[in-house]
Amino acid sequence: NIDPESLLPKLPSPDELRPFPTACSVVFRGHEGRVRSLAIDPSGEYLATGGDDGTVRLWQLRTGRQNWSVKFSGDEAVNVVRWRPGTEAFILAAASGENIFLVSPPIAGKPDVERSSRDVLDAGWGYAATNGASATNGPAKKEAAAKWTRPGPQLEEKGVLVKITVRSTVKVINWHRRGEYFSTVSPQGQSSAIAIHTLSKHLTQLPFRRLKGLAQSAQFHPSKPIFFVATQRTIRSYDLARRELLKILQPGAKWISSFDIHPGGDNLIVGSYDRRLLWHDLDLSTRPYKTLRYHKKAIRAVRFHQGGLPLFADASDDGSLQIFHGKVVGDLMENATIVPLKVLRGHQVRKELGVLDVDWHPKQPWCVSAGADGTCRLWQ
Amino acid sequence: MSNPTPAGDQAKVRIQLTTRHADLGLPQDTGPLLVSTSLRRIQLSSLVNNILSTPRPVPFEFLISGQFLRTSIDDFLTRNGISAETTLTVEYVRALIPPTYVASFEHDDWVSSVDVLSASSPAAGWAGADIAAGQEKILSGSFDGYLRIWDTSGQLVATSSPTSHGQHPIQSTKFLSPTKLVSAGDDCCVRIWNHSNPTNTDNPSATASITPSLELYGHHGAINAISVHAPTSRILSASSDHTLGLWSTQKSSAPAAPSDLFPENSPSLTSSNKRRKISQPTPPPPRRGPLSLLTGHAQQVSSAVFAPNDASVAYSASWDHSLKTWDLPTVTCVDTRTTAHPLYSLLALSGITLLAAGTSARHITLIDPRTSARSIAALTLRGHSNAVVALAQEPGSWYGLVSGSYDGSCRVWDVRSVRPGGADIGGGQVGESVYRIGRESLGGKREPSGGEGVRVFGVCWDKQLGILSAGEDKRVQVNKGS
Ligand SMILES: [Mg+2]
Repeated sequence: NIDPESLLPKLPSPDELRPFPTACSVVFRGHEGRVRSLAIDPSGEYLATGGDDGTVRLWQLRTGRQNWSVKFSGDEAVNVVRWRPGTEAFILAAASGENIFLVSPPIAGKPDVERSSRDVLDAGWGYAATNGASATNGPAKKEAAAKWTRPGPQLEEKGVLVKITVRSTVKVINWHRRGEYFSTVSPQGQSSAIAIHTLSKHLTQLPFRRLKGLAQSAQFHPSKPIFFVATQRTIRSYDLARRELLKILQPGAKWISSFDIHPGGDNLIVGSYDRRLLWHDLDLSTRPYKTLRYHKKAIRAVRFHQGGLPLFADASDDGSLQIFHGKVVGDLMENATIVPLKVLRGHQVRKELGVLDVDWHPKQPWCVSAGADGTCRLWQ
Repeated sequence: MSNPTPAGDQAKVRIQLTTRHADLGLPQDTGPLLVSTSLRRIQLSSLVNNILSTPRPVPFEFLISGQFLRTSIDDFLTRNGISAETTLTVEYVRALIPPTYVASFEHDDWVSSVDVLSASSPAAGWAGADIAAGQEKILSGSFDGYLRIWDTSGQLVATSSPTSHGQHPIQSTKFLSPTKLVSAGDDCCVRIWNHSNPTNTDNPSATASITPSLELYGHHGAINAISVHAPTSRILSASSDHTLGLWSTQKSSAPAAPSDLFPENSPSLTSSNKRRKISQPTPPPPRRGPLSLLTGHAQQVSSAVFAPNDASVAYSASWDHSLKTWDLPTVTCVDTRTTAHPLYSLLALSGITLLAAGTSARHITLIDPRTSARSIAALTLRGHSNAVVALAQEPGSWYGLVSGSYDGSCRVWDVRSVRPGGADIGGGQVGESVYRIGRESLGGKREPSGGEGVRVFGVCWDKQLGILSAGEDKRVQVNKGS
């Protein structure tokens, strides 16, 4: 006659785990149609968004005021926006169709930051010229992995300074922590699905020419030269220096939508279209340490807080976000503590689509969400 | 002494009246009074007026254990489980009059900030200017980048001329004197403006104007708030670049400006046709740099204010959770108080040495900045449902303040109205608002989620004009206790 409840490990109550976001504090309205992607800049002052209307917009996070926007040519949706790490420059990567644009949004009153951003983006033109650009643009043996070009005066006047054209639609961008490399994923790209771009050389490489399965996402390890690639059912990690496969994770999901690596580097969360949220401890096993099923519809995006707070969030087509406490302990013998904290509701579901992306403030316990309802929201 | 309650007689209770109003103190020989428990605020108010023999009746409110008496004493005792045998300590305070809607001034865009020039406003006081009743001016700053001056009937008197490099949202604006204004905002520049209003000239075609007279460069991020102090010719600015700026209003005593921050040196303006387009309106006014940029905060500084009785001291509030005290002559941080939440707004209450800080966590924290103070938070004011981004003190009172929030409301508080907080909110003293002012633009509808469309960005409380609030509904709303 032992109460089975008493055998379960005691989890702390959400009240003891404050602060975490609990309410919508700012609504960002302006996009026509779905907002596909959003990201808070490394200083924590601005929000960048991209959506089906083909625009990228910049907003002041504190006031919700739109500061700037650009529409790339054509009717393609903007599928992803991601900031380059670091605060000395202010550079956004955005992808629309087969084009990746590198942007230095002109911010009033910061000519110095704008100058250093332009220096970072322009450095590669010189490199390409001196080295005959044979690596990417010139008449090489094989078809070039990508074309790096100037986007034309109209876009350049708006601060869009580099256009990189790859072979098929880009859905995912992730930067390396030092801001020199970024990876892109084109799920339909087959042998060119995963690309790694070197900013200072305007160089694009395709390191995974024989990828098994449809690529979903890819990300650099936060501190080691390791690269993670997710296909529909598995996540593989590779040693970039030795060019060898390290691990194959089996989350057990039918179709992975996204994953994110804990800033400590040893834990990973995975979201799936079949409504699962999975936590992997990389030291423990190639199978998930925890499987969480809270959502009624697909999970579109998962994200860890990157600024030292033990928080992570997911975004779902059921219109809600779920906020979790996720505390990683340094001790190899001890497992992570995972506590569901709060369901954030407010986005409207449109044509079966709900919340499409989520990001955290770099320092504060605040997150932002992008909705199929055309709004973004700041949660505090 | 026994307390008999003879059958048939009304129940009575002993009360000891007290007050913190120096000008409304009781005669020394007033001891406890035996009063009927059926008394309500109105009867108690006439009782106190009788004792004080006030020439004109002063409406009073009554605080018992930090709660305003809203019922009969009898109900109050029952509800709070207090025995009628106790001698009740009853504090009387000048009644705050419910602020009723007066008018709205409509703008073309979101309004971030509002200030008033009136007989009792700081700028008029510094200038020794007499502002006759009805001649007050209202200054507003908007996200469209323009300053506007309005008269009390809601007529637009003047709009600022365009700046030399385009219009950027203004976040904060203040009267420095009846003819000088200061503004700052997203373009990272502090601007001083001349305001001329030639109403008394012989030339009827002369119109009022707001023209730039000095531009102050130095910040590397948007300016969230400014404070001004004309007697020392100083301006304080709070910036998202993590610093506080200290500036001189006088061209002659200000250092040279850092030219790398001039907008025309922005690389996105190198295209010749764009340069031609925007350098048309007016040549830029003289430019200067900061007296100092005060570093120490780890995140955005949301507000910086002068100490009410000593302009050589400044206080600042930041997203980094801290409140800092600065000694301006030596430009050093002399004290740091760390709270539990990001701070979005700051008010130094004059008279009672308390700082009120609005937080992103929907409440207001009151903190004693004196280094001798033991506890961090003296008092917490709760009631808003979104970030508290603006604060102003009740003119002529030490205890009243108004807050503006992203929830689309202003709330009026009396810091004497407090009760002990429960363990669930970490104890301490907790206050609730006395009045709530909604946005008239909603037409009685409920505030939408996130306060969308009706967020309040700025507040000002003037003795003559009342409570003015600036908001996302593109209006300055005026409410006044009548
Ligand atoms: Mg471990």
